Amino acid sequence: METVLIGIGLVLLALFGAPLFAIIGAIAMMSFAAEGIDPSVVIVELYRIGSNPTLVAIPLFTFAGYVLAESKAPTRLVNLARAFFGSIPGGLAVVALVTCALFTAFTGASGVTIVALGGLLYPILLKEQYPERFSLGLITTSGSLGLLFPPSLPLILYALVAKISIDKLFAAGIIPGILLVVLLAGYAIFQGKKLRVPKTPFTWSNVFTTMRVAAWEIPLPVLIIGGIYGGFFTATEAAAVTAFYVLVVEVFIHKDLNLFKDIPRVMKDSMLLVGAILMIIGAAMGLTNYLVDEEVPMKLFELTRTFISSPIAFLIVLNIFLIIVGMMMDIFSAIIVVVPLILPIATAYNIEPVHLGIIFLTNLEIGYLTPPVGLNLFISSIRFQKPVFTVVRGTLPYIAILVVALIMITYVPNLSLWLVNALNVR
Amino acid sequence: MTFLRTLDRFFYRIEFALLVLFLSAMVLLSFTQVFLRNFLGTGLVWADTIIRHLVIWAGFAGAALATTEERHISIDALTKFLSPRIKHVAQLFTGLFATITCVYLGDAAWTYLKDELTSGGVLVLGIQTWQALLIIPVGYFLIAFHFLVKLVENLLGVLGRQTVKRV
Repeated sequence: METVLIGIGLVLLALFGAPLFAIIGAIAMMSFAAEGIDPSVVIVELYRIGSNPTLVAIPLFTFAGYVLAESKAPTRLVNLARAFFGSIPGGLAVVALVTCALFTAFTGASGVTIVALGGLLYPILLKEQYPERFSLGLITTSGSLGLLFPPSLPLILYALVAKISIDKLFAAGIIPGILLVVLLAGYAIFQGKKLRVPKTPFTWSNVFTTMRVAAWEIPLPVLIIGGIYGGFFTATEAAAVTAFYVLVVEVFIHKDLNLFKDIPRVMKDSMLLVGAILMIIGAAMGLTNYLVDEEVPMKLFELTRTFISSPIAFLIVLNIFLIIVGMMMDIFSAIIVVVPLILPIATAYNIEPVHLGIIFLTNLEIGYLTPPVGLNLFISSIRFQKPVFTVVRGTLPYIAILVVALIMITYVPNLSLWLVNALNVR
Repeated sequence: MTFLRTLDRFFYRIEFALLVLFLSAMVLLSFTQVFLRNFLGTGLVWADTIIRHLVIWAGFAGAALATTEERHISIDALTKFLSPRIKHVAQLFTGLFATITCVYLGDAAWTYLKDELTSGGVLVLGIQTWQALLIIPVGYFLIAFHFLVKLVENLLGVLGRQTVKRV
């Protein structure tokens, strides 16, 4: 009875906006105390995950992403992409999709993309006569597109929590990520043709000029992906190189940011996110340990097995469940809290952990856009000063496309696993 | 209240400065390490351990700042639709809860620290393990303090408005 009351109290506190790490930490400490175990084991787990060598990649990549977002790299990237894609129908929309996807890989789908790139692209889209609703939907969708590309923060976090190789998960995300971009670009081109929006003519001189201006940023994806899969360095080392490289390029070469005036603020902004994630992960690892000791995942599996027998049916239920989770929770807490519970069940249904990771993240990506509470809807609504309802209406066609992609990703495991096997990643 | 607020700002500045220091050290040290390993085939034996602990120190500094800037992750599905007044009242409860929980977490971390103190391990460069762990209880207590200041401010705000209305 008492437990039920405490449970209801905590759920209410969570719904009324109490910080999630406090909720999780309180549950963990109370669970241990009820078993007669000292609550300091929660701290033991925090220290264990906190000093995990892989965790270092998170602050370094996040910092690099925030530096890029605050510099003029978004403008250079958009100009470069326009030189390439501006001449096809709906070209500017394709530019938005591609640049946002590349950018989100670095900023980790924390809403930074919509603010940094969307703020830049949205006025251009309107000026080039793209309809308002189409453009709003496009930018809102693009804000979390690309979180399947390395080195995105959700990928690293998933690998960390699920205890699988980052290198594997990075490779697994590439083809599904491209699939999402291609399907959305197809829609954008189709709409561009139908709406007869003006095109920019293609010139080689334009390509060369924009490439020269962005010459320092172009090598970044190659540096990371090539570096990791060429066997030159680990994901953590790639993070170290990226952070240092980006800092030098934006501060000393482009001089977009001042080392003393801007960098401390950018450091703070990036570490606010990392600190908030560390708090949740620290509290949740203790709780996860308790749940695993109590064999909760196994009990959940026995329960689901009485209702669901086939892996296919399990995946359908999982997709629906995850979209609801994605609507309610931000992507980071969803990964930290839900993955340890779902993973053993999915493994029991013979679903490959790497494949599950990609399904998981694609679902959460859609959750960002799902009305009524998807995060991107609100960021767009605030950033572009449009009612949430308008943003929702603009986003619906894109959600439909993403759901089609999700179904493909879920039921064709090779979309995720082929590259992992082809590259022979361990 | 002025005293609390001054102290709050004071801690904020220290946390900010430490955060910049730790993250800068992390960026430089980790790059140096990759450079040494790949080009000179060597490395600093202590660096990896230090870098891993810098993540915790910078993370707690970031988390303390996130408290002041109200950037902790929470479920905002419901709060988005609440009226400002109900939101304020809700914040009294959530703030109180967060403050108390962080004190308990800090206390748990303190217990852990004392255990380490008696076992007396050395990390690297003559740094004792307990010294490297010091940030965990201190961090939680700082977060608790920031939550407390917010709570007091909120409480005064809510009470203040009611008195204004009665007058």
